[in-house]
Amino acid sequence: MEPIIVLDQVSYCYPVPGSNPQPALHDLSLQVNEGEYVAILGANGSGKSTLARHLNALLLPDQGRVVVAGLDTRQASQRSEIRRTVGMVFQRPEDQIVATLVSHDVAFGPENLGLTPDDIRVRVESALRAVDLWDERDRPPHMLSAGQMQRLALAGVLAVRPRCIVFDEVTAMLDPAGRRAARALMAELHREGLTVITITHLMEEALDASRVVVLNDGEAVLDGTPGDVFSDVARLEPLGLDLPAVANLAHALRAHHPALPPGLLSLPDLVEALEALRCRVALDRRGPTCPPSVSDRAARKSWGPTRPPSALVAAAGLGHTYMLGTPFARRALEDVRLSIRAGEAHGLIGATGSGKSTLLQHLNGLMRPQEGTLRVGSYDLTDLKADIAAVRRIVGLVFQMPEVQIFEQYVGDEIAYGPRLAGLHGEDLRKRVRWAMDLVGLDFDSFKDRFTFAISGGEKRKVAVAATLALRPELLLLDEPTAGLDPSSRRELLIRLKQLQDGGMTLMLSSHQMEDVAELSQRLTVMVEGTTVLDGDAATVFGVGDRLENWGLEQPVVARLAHALDVRGWDLQPGIVDQDVLIDVLESRLEPTP
Amino acid sequence: MSEFEFQRYVTIGQYIPTDSIIHRLDPRTRIMGGLFLLLAVTLAPSLAGLLLALVLVVALTRMARVPVGYALRGLLAPLPFIAFLALLQVVLSPASGAAPTLWQWGPLRISMLGIANSIRVVLRFPALILLITTASACTSTSEMVRGLEALLHPLTRIRLPVQDFVLMVQVALRFVPLLAREAERIAKSQASRGAVWGTGRGGPLRRARQALPIFVPLFLVSLQRAESLAIAMDARGYRSFGERTSLVSLHFTRADFLALLACLAASVLIGLV
Repeated sequence: MEPIIVLDQVSYCYPVPGSNPQPALHDLSLQVNEGEYVAILGANGSGKSTLARHLNALLLPDQGRVVVAGLDTRQASQRSEIRRTVGMVFQRPEDQIVATLVSHDVAFGPENLGLTPDDIRVRVESALRAVDLWDERDRPPHMLSAGQMQRLALAGVLAVRPRCIVFDEVTAMLDPAGRRAARALMAELHREGLTVITITHLMEEALDASRVVVLNDGEAVLDGTPGDVFSDVARLEPLGLDLPAVANLAHALRAHHPALPPGLLSLPDLVEALEALRCRVALDRRGPTCPPSVSDRAARKSWGPTRPPSALVAAAGLGHTYMLGTPFARRALEDVRLSIRAGEAHGLIGATGSGKSTLLQHLNGLMRPQEGTLRVGSYDLTDLKADIAAVRRIVGLVFQMPEVQIFEQYVGDEIAYGPRLAGLHGEDLRKRVRWAMDLVGLDFDSFKDRFTFAISGGEKRKVAVAATLALRPELLLLDEPTAGLDPSSRRELLIRLKQLQDGGMTLMLSSHQMEDVAELSQRLTVMVEGTTVLDGDAATVFGVGDRLENWGLEQPVVARLAHALDVRGWDLQPGIVDQDVLIDVLESRLEPTP
Repeated sequence: MSEFEFQRYVTIGQYIPTDSIIHRLDPRTRIMGGLFLLLAVTLAPSLAGLLLALVLVVALTRMARVPVGYALRGLLAPLPFIAFLALLQVVLSPASGAAPTLWQWGPLRISMLGIANSIRVVLRFPALILLITTASACTSTSEMVRGLEALLHPLTRIRLPVQDFVLMVQVALRFVPLLAREAERIAKSQASRGAVWGTGRGGPLRRARQALPIFVPLFLVSLQRAESLAIAMDARGYRSFGERTSLVSLHFTRADFLALLACLAASVLIGLV
């Protein structure tokens, strides 16, 4: 097969004014063949996006060379040909959209090629049909959902008819349904013969590819099939990566059932392997089968209130309309019911645009109820005279991608901002900042005087969380806390959040990552189109199965496996979402009778 | 009602697709006609002319099927400024022979001229804001860009970067609502951390310091977004002096000719009355 992209010993440094250049790629050689499907993985700061930008001459190598379809990217005269060959879709679709109408935006690329209006029209139509947006052609892009906007960005690239498309973390901000659609599109483009290169933090997505390249400090350290790359978890961890969720589960199960084969990456494979195991066990069993029992550990793990807990937040009939009284009025919340108990971790899930962020903003008084009732602690938020400042003191809100809101020069000052406004100073302030930094795992002495712009993405996220924690809230609201983090930063943040809850703080988090929600929260609320449709413990909510998919969501992998086994007649108890519970239950089924 | 819904007050630059007769005109007609009227409203010397302008602009807004109340909301933000300007006009207008002085105290004087000047300010601003809001409500940025590009095309002959300029205008307009949303998000985030807005306490230095938590991130975010957009445009093959074509083809019809003529006539009338 023809190589479409060749990187030959490429090195690249970002120039830093008044300081040493920051190296991003180091002596990187890579060859991508026409028609391949390559996933590029790596921790935050490993050079993935820098690499992507070399592939269509957005960046030029300091050393070495990049050749695209036989053309050296350094030759300026070839640049438009190169960009016509390799298209790129970026993470935030709203930053790629130039025009105010869907069809006009798709036309931007072909217009740059200098095609005739008729040719442009043909291309716009076929691109919009390919991503299923033809019916939306006359709408303004900002009226589209996040998933649709991402598809629009892709249509804009498809209209140029490139031979290779690079996807730079396009699924990071999408809900499960949006991610499923994006993955299906990539797979289809690949089937049609396009070369697909995808950069992602989600290990599951790498499984779709035929080849996985792992970057670390600007070098390609692993390169092989998904099976090769994910064969050894010990090798991945130092690189800031993780196994896909299914592989992690398979790994945990193998510790209990060594007979399971290694290298199980997909759910069907894992189900087949467990089936095979069950058949063998059944053959081994000569005596009467022992009744399935749920072990102590499983019983202890099943959630349930031990004593009647008090509700910290109670909402009923809550409604909100944005831009009320303008031509752009848009209903965001309708008849929302919510109850959060003191001390619990409460998950909020729902498709993009289902009203999660709007609801969170009601809980600390950023938005006042237009309809219905809302009580937080002892404050009635429907009362216009309620002390909102006091509400904000007990309810902290960490926004999506909170690191963009950092404004102080030093880490310590950033975290001290809130407590300082609350009147703390001197030694008390110092202590408070130290306490908050400890909670997120930032060392006070070594981090307080660091520049906020010079720390890594994961560290910035921690600073932003600490800046809210420093107010010592009773209830901490987190909007997509793990979005955009690499697997190891994500894992660490989840552990820290769990510790906060153990320390008595009530948490509420909204997330598109079902694994995170399942891992952290005891109770869940599901939102669909602005209203709450279901709430209960994780087992109840994730036990509803197919309905979740209709709502644009999915089950976490443990529940999916339990469901798949149940369909095969394993007759498991309904609503298994916890890995330990599943392991115990499977153990009881697969153990040869003594 | 939320203190944070900044977008509510940004009415300028919002396209409202109502498909009115004005929406169906050639973008060049809308741009040129709008410019004529804008010039006339800005320069109109007489009270009668301004009154006529206000009536015409309200009629235009109705014709474009843009809710007048909504369009006028854009006035809320500059209202204190307009009031102040009007007041200055009343008390600081110079004496003149023709206009009798009604009241005088030191350098401050109220004259008929001052009152007339002040009424002019009060009429001119709503007319301007209505006109600009309506114009932007009727013209999507892509149409405006196409129109501008066609109108300015002759300038490319003297190697002026018309395409870049036009695209700059387009992107700036697209970013207005985006930045309003971003500012809203940042303000909310800082409010969650205990910041209080609009208390108006403390001296100017202290107030400037209060604004820092919004402006620094907003500035950084805008830069980041501008950079991402530039990269995305580059990746989609945009070149400053490249030969570009367009999806939209422009058709200048009889209706356009008549509309343009009407605008020109109205503008002259406003200027001369």
